[in-house]
Amino acid sequence: MKVTWKLADGSEIHADVAPGTTLKDAGLDNGVPHILGECGGSMSCGTCHVVVAPDWVAAAGAPGEFEDAILDTTEAPRQPASRLSCQLEMRDALDGIVLFVPEP
Amino acid sequence: MTVWHPDDDGHADLSSHDTFASGAPHNTFARLRREDPVHWTEWAGGKGFWSITRHADILDMNRQFQVFSSAQGIRMEDQTPEEVLARRTFQETDPPEHMRTRIKVAKAFSKPVIAGFEEQVRAISADILDRVLEMGSFDATREIARQLPMRMLGRIIGVPDADLPWLVEKGDALIANTDPEFTDHVLDRMDTDEFRLMPFNSPAGAELWEYAQQMMADKARRGDTDGVLHMVLAPDADGNVISETEFRNFFCLLVAAGNDTTRYSIAAGIQALAHQPELLGQMQAGGTIWDTAPDEIIRWATPTNYFRRTATRDVELHGRTIRKGDKVLYWWVSANRDEEVFDDPFRVDLTRDPNPHLGFGKGGPHLCLGMHLARLEVRVLFQELARRVKSVEPDGDHTFLRSNFIGGIKSLPVRVELQ
Repeated sequence: MKVTWKLADGSEIHADVAPGTTLKDAGLDNGVPHILGECGGSMSCGTCHVVVAPDWVAAAGAPGEFEDAILDTTEAPRQPASRLSCQLEMRDALDGIVLFVPEP
Repeated sequence: MTVWHPDDDGHADLSSHDTFASGAPHNTFARLRREDPVHWTEWAGGKGFWSITRHADILDMNRQFQVFSSAQGIRMEDQTPEEVLARRTFQETDPPEHMRTRIKVAKAFSKPVIAGFEEQVRAISADILDRVLEMGSFDATREIARQLPMRMLGRIIGVPDADLPWLVEKGDALIANTDPEFTDHVLDRMDTDEFRLMPFNSPAGAELWEYAQQMMADKARRGDTDGVLHMVLAPDADGNVISETEFRNFFCLLVAAGNDTTRYSIAAGIQALAHQPELLGQMQAGGTIWDTAPDEIIRWATPTNYFRRTATRDVELHGRTIRKGDKVLYWWVSANRDEEVFDDPFRVDLTRDPNPHLGFGKGGPHLCLGMHLARLEVRVLFQELARRVKSVEPDGDHTFLRSNFIGGIKSLPVRVELQ
């Protein structure tokens, strides 16, 4: 399944990601800048922050209570479509998803 | 290989605080990483425990909080369920419960909010250094490393500077509860049963609690609801509030844990400057070194030697069976010297990048809440120190805390030459 990360400098990173993989792990595997995932995907750190592209917001869904709180702590300011990519798991509905990586 | 420990023959007793009184037993950790990565330690003071010493294993296990739980205690001591409940903070909970408390304070310790403290940290660092450096020779732990985190603690929790020495003395009595220099109630040498429901088994917990109650009452009278303590008291989205016991323990945690770990990181950094003279010049050259130096100093220090977890089911690992209910110690101090991960791990390399050290508990939900503050304090203190001195040299032997839990240089005689 396809994922695209769009970086602040305009460049893009494309990857094939297996279903069930979190987009944080996929970001780490593909060397996406600013995706650090320091807490291992447990919503404690906010260092896997991405902004979901408008066409994909509905499919990605809204953050839960804890994720929502941690999104208030991210280094790059949160935006309406911000998510922690550790909470996005690859599945059919997200095949082709486009994520912006905000510059801190 | 640099060895700090004069008696470490590779078979040191990891359960003994005395072992660590001359520095972490790195020969033993190196042997365990090589030969016995899931090591069983018998302990005279309670049930024995497993020691995990390889970086890769700890990183992998730290993620599995359902299998290796924090909820039965995070130090090697056995606790009854009653003691756990009476003494626990969110450090001794697992997700999702852990998150209920963490989200209340996460913003106060977030990178953008902490960045706003930089000028204060710089002014305090300058004040400390301008006063002490002209002495020429002094104990760098007492005169520098202890001072900055203590004074920042005052800013974070909102208490007057005049109260800080007392608060930090009590915090030390809590966290250094195995070192007779810091407490009259040495945990493994006397009966502390009377205090078993107090934070860290210590009478200092009771004194700190009295202080916190008085302080909160004073703030309430003034209508002052600022600061991190009020954040923790605020109801969550479902209207739940934390209990008085949990608040007491959180206060003690802030005073104790937020303090000595940064202190011992700064101390280890100064010790490194005194023993690797090229480091000072690198700092003085500045530039991108400041992006990487703080984490390398914290790797070098690793002020928290281990955290304990408890297995919630049987687990096979490297030919050993960890049974449900067994205590498992993640030795961060060993992982941070793992030759498989770090080139020349016994050397301080301020340009080390990447630096996947586990000093902040990387890879798990309990990732250090205060890590951005710690990095900021370490960076600014060393920036200000490097601007002022021409040399830093040892001026006698340094000594270590008597604790297998907290690793720290408790006295560090140095001689400096001003620029």
